[in-house]
Amino acid sequence: MRLTVRWMACFVALLPLLAGAADDVAEDLWVLKPVVRPLVSAKRSMTSNPIDAFIAEGYKAGGLKPVGQADKLTLLRRVTVDLVGLPPTIEEQEAFLHDESPDAYEKVVDRLLGSEQHGVRYGRHWLDILRYADVDERMVAAPGIHYWRDWVIRALNDDLPYDQFVRAQLTGYRSATRTQMSAIGVRSRVEARPDDQFALGFLARGAVIRDGKDSREFSIVAVETVSTAFMGLTVGCAKCHDHMYDPIKQRDFYAMKALFDPLVLRKLTLATAAEVVAAGRAVDEVDRKRAAIEEPLEVLLALYRARLRDDRIAMLPADVQPVIRKPEKDRTAAEQKIADDYFPVLRIDTGKIEEIMSAADRRQYKDLQGKLSQLGDRRRPSLPAFWTVEVDPKKEQEKSYVLTSGDPDRPELKHEVAPGWPFAPAGVQFREGRVEAFSDWLTAPENPMFARVAVNRLWQWHFGNALHKTPSDFGNLSGSPSNPRLLDWLAAEFTSRGFRMKEIHRLIVTSDVYKLTSEVDQKRSATEIAADPENEHLWHFPLRRLEAEPIWDAVFFAAKDLDTTIGGPSFEVGGRRDGRGPARRAAFMIRGYTTSRDVVPNFLQAFDVDDGRAPCPVRTRTVTAPQALFLMNSNVIDGEAAKFAERLKRESGGDLGAAVDLGYRVTVARPPSRSERDVALAYLQGDASRLKGLAWLLFNLDEFLYAR
Amino acid sequence: MDSPIFPCGRISRRSFLHQAGGGFFGVAMGALWAEAGEIQDAVHGPHFPARAKSVISLFMCGGVSHIDTFDPKDNKWAGKLIDAVGFGDNNAEMRRPVIACRRKFTRHGQSGTPVSDWFPHVGGVIDEVAVVRSMWCHEGNHFPAVIETCTGHRGRAFDHPTFGSWVSYSLGTANKNLPTFVNLGRASSPVQLTGGYLGAGVAATPFQPGETPIPNLKPPKGGTSAERDRQMQTLQELNREFREHHAIESDIAARAGAYELAARMQLAAPEVVDLSGEPQHVRELYGIGEPATDDFGRQLLLARRLSEKGVRFVQVCHAGGGNGGWDAHGDIETHGPLCRATDKPIAGLIRDLKQRGLLDETLIVWSSEFGRSPWSQNTTGRDHNPRGYTAWMAGGGVKGGVVHGATDDVGYRAVESPHYYSDLHATILHQLGLDYQKMEIPVLGRTMRLVEKEEGKGPIRAILS
Repeated sequence: MRLTVRWMACFVALLPLLAGAADDVAEDLWVLKPVVRPLVSAKRSMTSNPIDAFIAEGYKAGGLKPVGQADKLTLLRRVTVDLVGLPPTIEEQEAFLHDESPDAYEKVVDRLLGSEQHGVRYGRHWLDILRYADVDERMVAAPGIHYWRDWVIRALNDDLPYDQFVRAQLTGYRSATRTQMSAIGVRSRVEARPDDQFALGFLARGAVIRDGKDSREFSIVAVETVSTAFMGLTVGCAKCHDHMYDPIKQRDFYAMKALFDPLVLRKLTLATAAEVVAAGRAVDEVDRKRAAIEEPLEVLLALYRARLRDDRIAMLPADVQPVIRKPEKDRTAAEQKIADDYFPVLRIDTGKIEEIMSAADRRQYKDLQGKLSQLGDRRRPSLPAFWTVEVDPKKEQEKSYVLTSGDPDRPELKHEVAPGWPFAPAGVQFREGRVEAFSDWLTAPENPMFARVAVNRLWQWHFGNALHKTPSDFGNLSGSPSNPRLLDWLAAEFTSRGFRMKEIHRLIVTSDVYKLTSEVDQKRSATEIAADPENEHLWHFPLRRLEAEPIWDAVFFAAKDLDTTIGGPSFEVGGRRDGRGPARRAAFMIRGYTTSRDVVPNFLQAFDVDDGRAPCPVRTRTVTAPQALFLMNSNVIDGEAAKFAERLKRESGGDLGAAVDLGYRVTVARPPSRSERDVALAYLQGDASRLKGLAWLLFNLDEFLYAR
Repeated sequence: MDSPIFPCGRISRRSFLHQAGGGFFGVAMGALWAEAGEIQDAVHGPHFPARAKSVISLFMCGGVSHIDTFDPKDNKWAGKLIDAVGFGDNNAEMRRPVIACRRKFTRHGQSGTPVSDWFPHVGGVIDEVAVVRSMWCHEGNHFPAVIETCTGHRGRAFDHPTFGSWVSYSLGTANKNLPTFVNLGRASSPVQLTGGYLGAGVAATPFQPGETPIPNLKPPKGGTSAERDRQMQTLQELNREFREHHAIESDIAARAGAYELAARMQLAAPEVVDLSGEPQHVRELYGIGEPATDDFGRQLLLARRLSEKGVRFVQVCHAGGGNGGWDAHGDIETHGPLCRATDKPIAGLIRDLKQRGLLDETLIVWSSEFGRSPWSQNTTGRDHNPRGYTAWMAGGGVKGGVVHGATDDVGYRAVESPHYYSDLHATILHQLGLDYQKMEIPVLGRTMRLVEKEEGKGPIRAILS
């Protein structure tokens, strides 16, 4: 595949020089260079994971000596929290400790990758990048958006190959084959897998009504999200001007936007035929009952309304009055404009009518109103629904333009753009659709950026830092990866293994470098600390604070109070359970944004979770006082500490030594050291009623919040 | 300053510093909790000597009628139809009747600045106040106008931070026990609190009324402080081995700091919100104890206490939520109770700061997302009006007893020395020793600033002493 910037045919004539220049720059962008599978040094690859051969190159170059391996229990907690987002249970700890077989660890990894909680954990990672939100002003697709979130979770659990994972979310089809030829030579569309409609929630999520108006940001955010998520390019930066640093022109942005311009949202009702019929009947029933009350009510109001309207019209300018009095069908267009302008002035609220009613009429009015409200909600009974996207053939005929400052109201009519994307090959055919053509190019095994960007993310989620530090930006200013050969080897491996993400997870977590301890002896490792203080070469396992979700989950998990149900609408914190919210996994906690209220719960905010308005490729990891306050004082911690204490009492049979032991194993998956045990027992003063205090201590341990 | 390119679209000083240095302690806690002075640098530090150390911004949510408060008009147009724009009605152009102003204006103080009978107490301190009668902005509806006036930008295409966050970002705190930017009262929109691309660390910390101003500030019921002390001590012992084994991790050191800070906050925040130690004559100054003024009086007394303790920016939102309480479409008389609720406390704040010798270093700003129209929508109320309205400032190096700019005969358009809302921002920055032209930050390969160059003219120098 040739990776050059090609301009749409109509502009080539205008821009030969520019295009030539861009060609050169494009060649410079390393992520566009083909992945050449690096050779693994033979000596190591025979005996161990090839990843370690590349890591060893880094050690050798930097004169670094890695620390030793982590112990079994540390490793078990690390890999369990990493792959499923939950701590290992006591039983899992026991089983692993006592499994002496050489592949004991591999068995654990397979068990975790096979767990349905794996999709919850890694789904959350992906949803940060794909900017999942439950609320975004008035997001059209909001009522059913969680079906998309749940699709992502299922896809990861099923180990849906990454190219299919991406294609489905862009086109609704996993496969690149979307049409078929019948025996009699008629080409028709292949039926997509029914549940893959939910994948399109990814695109539908972008339709947002702000301030009562369609913000028309749908195709703009599609470009921004798709390019950062799957291409590792900040095409969005070219919205208002040519990219400052990367060979992406403003025209490229709008060409890519044109891919998504013909898409519109379509509501799917998720119900059986019988449910739809029953809902129809229910509507009839309510309508009938309402009509019996609304008719006399209207008769009652009509007279007063007419009187008020006459009064108001009389106050209008003399030239306007006849216009308003004219029936709508007799007005000219200009007159109708005047009438529309005055509509708000003439709008009569029932409150005003009430003021001028006679006492008897008011009584009757109130009486009817009361009956009406007893009939219940005016809204139709709602069937569950999901909003998907589809191509609107009419919109497909419309032209796309560069927009000044990205403002949909300011198209530059002199700058029409044809559909395309940065670095598209020449002569792209859009026979099967615009997004389809793009997704075929994007997900092709030859596309070097596709696999590189993906494996870089997978690495990031295991080690905290990606090999290429800015996982959504592989552009010129973003530097180069810490270990380019490793990145390319992983990319090649990913492609040759059919884009199976679980295989890459398995490769990574079974490497020696993943098993290193996070503890550093400052004397022994003085050279390494001096030479590579940032641990760029991974000479020790990077210690990192857990994200908000595993912290929340671990608290409820310790108290044996965690509901691990997967999917469904997101939950809010507060209200139920003494303001603690349901004890569900935090992946299902509401996030989003509106101008009128705070949506993201305080807990998520304190622990660095964004509101989902913009893609979040890397969460900031801060250590702040509000986090400490949550862990010290919140009613979540207080309530769960009480439950955890009950559990400790129950399961230890009142033996405080056993309770301390159990407490440590539940929260940090290891028994306490002798001195920790002594300190904890001294704190308990032989009093089982102080176990809640111990539970609090365990929730506040540094180690509880860290993956080590 | 380097161009932080990561993550595209989001830059936070906190994350930038944290990640650029692989996380160094202290800064890791963010500007919100930063040590005094730490946050200053060549680009955003004070650019010249500051006149004010802190700002108390009083934001009246919903749009105050300038015509009935600080910008008197004679009633010669009353009842006449004029060309109008229905800002609350889809910007429809139409003719509407000017409604009479029923307020009585009195010239107050030595300056003789006229103030309506809705603000008699503010009239009493008017010699400290510089009234700007010629503010304007673009947006004619609440949310867009709130966004425009608090971020200096229209719309949310970019994640522009609110004004207080810029101040918080630039100056840092002067009290390590308290946040840099505090919001009191219910805002109209979370945008008024957002740190945007400057990061959550500089966003407003909302202080709630009552004993728990910050979430989770108070230990749960049933525990004693002796027990908590014991727990904290035990916690330190239990953390020891882990911390020794991970001594090279700055993150872990930061955690100890975060707990210490949380503990200090636990002490400092309830103390600062506890008004019981304030002498009676001070409480009376703010109207505390009188039903009409008690709420707002308490908020302003708290604002003074926070400001005094080194909080750089205290934003007090009055009558926020929904469109805002000042949104008097139906009847302008609904302004009456709101004026009563705020008049005495505002005057009390100015007097109190003055008697403490703090007025010179505390800048008070009174404003609204827009003013109100000279005409009605066929009611006795007034529509929105972003084309010309009033804001005022006091203290912090602002000239007292000054009136600057003017609207037209009916109070519709700013005609004399019109100032786009950003000029107010630029003025406040200027008094804090900040040059608005230097307050730039690269985000998304774009230079972001609070004050865009196109509309604004910079600080309103005519009102500066």
